[in-house]
Amino acid sequence: MLLGIDVGGTHTDAVLLDLGGIVATRKVKTDHADLLGSIAAVLEGVLASVDPAKVLRLNLSTTLSTNAIVEGKSEPVGVFVSCGPGIDPEYYRVGGHYFLIGGAVDHRGTALEDVNEAALCAAVEKCRADGVRVFASVGKFSTRNPEHEEAILEKVHPLADFVTSGRRVSGQLGFHRRINTAYFNSSVWRLFNRFADAVQRCVASHGLRCQVNILKADGGAMPLSVSRRAPVESILSGPAASVMGIIAICDIDLDSVILDIGGTTTDIAVFADGAPLIAQTGISISGKPTLVRAFKTRSIGIGGDSAIAVEGGLVTAGPQRYGPSMADGGEVPTLIDAFNVQNIIAYGDTMASYSGISELAMESGLDPETLADYAIGYAANRIREETALLIREINEKPVYTIFELLEGKFVRPAKVYVMGGPARAFATVLREAFSLPVLVPENHAVANAAGAALARATVDVELFADTQKGRMFIPGLGVERAVPPSYSLDQARAEAVDNLRDYLGAIETEDPDLPVDILEESVFNMIEDSRLAGRSIRVKCQVKPGVAEAYKRGIKRQC
Amino acid sequence: MLKAKRKLGVVFFPAYDWAISATHPERQERLLYTQDQLREEGLFDIPGVTEYKPELASWLDVDRAHFCFPDVESVATQSHCVSAGGAIRAAKLVMEREADRAFALIRPPGHHAMKVVHGSRGFCNINIEAVMIEWVREHYGRKRVAIVDTDCHHGDGTQDIYWHDPDTLFISLHQDGRTLYPGTGFPMEAGGPRALGRTINVPLPPGTSDEGFLHVIDNLVLPILSDFKPDLIVNSAGQDNHFSDPITDMNFSARGYAVLSERLGPHLAVLEGGYAIQGALPYVNLGIALALAGLDYSHVREPGFDPDKCRQSAKITEYIKEITPQIADFYFDPPKTPKTGRFEGETYIREKEIHYDTDNIHEDQTETLHLCGDCPGLLVIESRSTVNPPCLGVEIPALACPRCHDLGLRAFEEAQIKSGYRHVQLINRKDKEYQRFLV
Repeated sequence: MLLGIDVGGTHTDAVLLDLGGIVATRKVKTDHADLLGSIAAVLEGVLASVDPAKVLRLNLSTTLSTNAIVEGKSEPVGVFVSCGPGIDPEYYRVGGHYFLIGGAVDHRGTALEDVNEAALCAAVEKCRADGVRVFASVGKFSTRNPEHEEAILEKVHPLADFVTSGRRVSGQLGFHRRINTAYFNSSVWRLFNRFADAVQRCVASHGLRCQVNILKADGGAMPLSVSRRAPVESILSGPAASVMGIIAICDIDLDSVILDIGGTTTDIAVFADGAPLIAQTGISISGKPTLVRAFKTRSIGIGGDSAIAVEGGLVTAGPQRYGPSMADGGEVPTLIDAFNVQNIIAYGDTMASYSGISELAMESGLDPETLADYAIGYAANRIREETALLIREINEKPVYTIFELLEGKFVRPAKVYVMGGPARAFATVLREAFSLPVLVPENHAVANAAGAALARATVDVELFADTQKGRMFIPGLGVERAVPPSYSLDQARAEAVDNLRDYLGAIETEDPDLPVDILEESVFNMIEDSRLAGRSIRVKCQVKPGVAEAYKRGIKRQC
Repeated sequence: MLKAKRKLGVVFFPAYDWAISATHPERQERLLYTQDQLREEGLFDIPGVTEYKPELASWLDVDRAHFCFPDVESVATQSHCVSAGGAIRAAKLVMEREADRAFALIRPPGHHAMKVVHGSRGFCNINIEAVMIEWVREHYGRKRVAIVDTDCHHGDGTQDIYWHDPDTLFISLHQDGRTLYPGTGFPMEAGGPRALGRTINVPLPPGTSDEGFLHVIDNLVLPILSDFKPDLIVNSAGQDNHFSDPITDMNFSARGYAVLSERLGPHLAVLEGGYAIQGALPYVNLGIALALAGLDYSHVREPGFDPDKCRQSAKITEYIKEITPQIADFYFDPPKTPKTGRFEGETYIREKEIHYDTDNIHEDQTETLHLCGDCPGLLVIESRSTVNPPCLGVEIPALACPRCHDLGLRAFEEAQIKSGYRHVQLINRKDKEYQRFLV
């Protein structure tokens, strides 16, 4: 059996699955002051009548790191930055202990300038004096040459409980993002590890001896042991859980749009070739871009509880939410109330909905049904417009070869899947807005937790080789070795895939034969004085997000 | 917090699957390290800076600017059409006010491609700036355009295309033609009889550094621009003036390029040459992009840059100070007649010999401008080359008077019936008609 727990903003859900389908579910209100309490409560609920020894895996999606970062409750981090020429690294200052310590590495990984020992020592002393215990060591182009990050590591090590090395957070380029990612990772490290300890105790006390995984923003699962070093990977995994939920209950083969409609917002995700699209760079948190891999999504302020307003004769909904709908005892009419008035649903106190909408309608000289109709139409159009923008952005993605420009694939959605609480209410009006088949999968209420339960490992790897320098790097995995001048793209591709598989083996995924996609590969000749001096080889590969197929059969629905 | 003061659109297209040959300077990886640098710097994460993909310029777009013989398809590959389409996309961003400034970071380049095209010269097949500018004029009306070419090589192709156009100001700063390809670009080359002073050439001595370039910008380019009052300023942003460029001899720096871009403030910058792909381009391109967006570029510095080593000699400084006002006079007080060509009755005739170094083609041309009192005048070009039988190009300007309009249509028809021409092309800007005839 597999167990999934989704700690959401409002509710914490647990789902227990076996090969035949759902065995047990449990839902409690999330207690943000005591996340562990919420987890323990749902665990008890689903395990009440089951032998815990039969549970093979627990996947957990948690808002812990996200909340700590957003609420600024994270720990001070000593950020040591080796920068080199380019944009002034002062612009990337983050936290109260940000130190520029000189040093320069260029795009090929050539060290142009050493780190400034004196500045480094002074920064270390400052951190010692201020009691800073966690650090981030980040160099520009450190994915091409780690020596400056290593030099920093050596100096701060005696002082540190934990150090995040910039190149280990991702193989991707992006200096500012690398700084932010390393910073956030260290800032939540202690909090996350305490939580991980508590989760392990809690799990053991319930008789579970299974592997515990944490869900990532790209819909993959990582073992708790791995997440202890990379807690930043657990941020913003909530939207990912819902996308994994739809994969768990539906077979999606056409290009599709996924709408996850909540109380306040709608998250839009896109599927192409049967898989959710991953953002080219990384996710942003607290307005700071990172290298944390995530689905390509767009969020808009339209949800079931979006407040309806009339301004200058125009009926709008959202992005404000002043509380629940009037049907739920709220004070301001919302989209849920509009759906009630239109008889699309009959939710809660329908009379309260009617009187609220009527009052607003009276003020603006409309009849209540018309006002409700306009508000719903407005919401559906906003969702359609934002979806169109997201699709346009995806199709406008820059390409760098003539072949791709002329032959490149375009995403053309053929279906819309709607999930979340108000999904059924929205379905009809969205069908009109999109002129596409709109589906509301059954079981969507527990889809998030089911998606979390079935999520398998994901990983992406970037290999970079320079045969003139005779070096090969896979920065995200910390692999580095000498290569001969004859090192080829074929060898690089094989080596990238092997290392990715080794990593999957090391983290003990139950399915070591997961399909590996080569995302990008290129080889460039380096010419000096009209002669071939070497080759620059790049390979990027990944294990795409997916679910444990054997278990999927039990909960799959027609959709 | 970084935020662009001016919205910048960057059309980045490195054409990783196209090269002239495997070891040619204009090859696949020319923009590879630039891409790495821009990604690592996170240029496109800066609010107000956005990356766009190019469009594909159509053959019609090319036909508007060039006489391509025998046709566009034979002289320009899809990569050239993508490059021109990248420039068009950049122009569209600015014209539609989606961006305040745009940078077309594209290859292959185009500024050596002349009005008539039989093949490739100086790594250029079609003139991407000209294709772009004529696209703008076709869609947004007759704009006054200034092209400031800061490539190290004289932009002889652009000069040739706009030789007779008083609405296009072409200023080229380049290494003295006596010391570098294509060997032209002297001050007395100042434009045709109807556009004298609209072509300004500033040959600079080898070894010119930031100081010299910026002196010319401040004391020649900017005063001329403020007098000309263009609707659109285009910078042909070649980067081969860099001190590390392998095929030129100048001493310009990445910082210097950024300062130049800031002072010039072009609406559109289009990459031309630049072959120090590791040591210069990543930094120069970053510097130009930051300057265009109004961002701080003070930390952009290429490896090995030593201002003292790069500094131009006192002799060069003095020489540049001396020639700058003399050259400015070609704009403010242009010569009464062109130094080349001859007048025959109501026409002005230029005989040209053109060598296409990249494709090793030789061309002989007779260009005839009908000197009309009512309009810019009909342009007819007879061309004979080593790859094509005799060809004729007829261009009716957008502002053609009825007489020149009729004259042009008649010339096009007559050439089809009773002449020795094999290929005849009509560029009719007045009626927006572009025709080609195989005799």
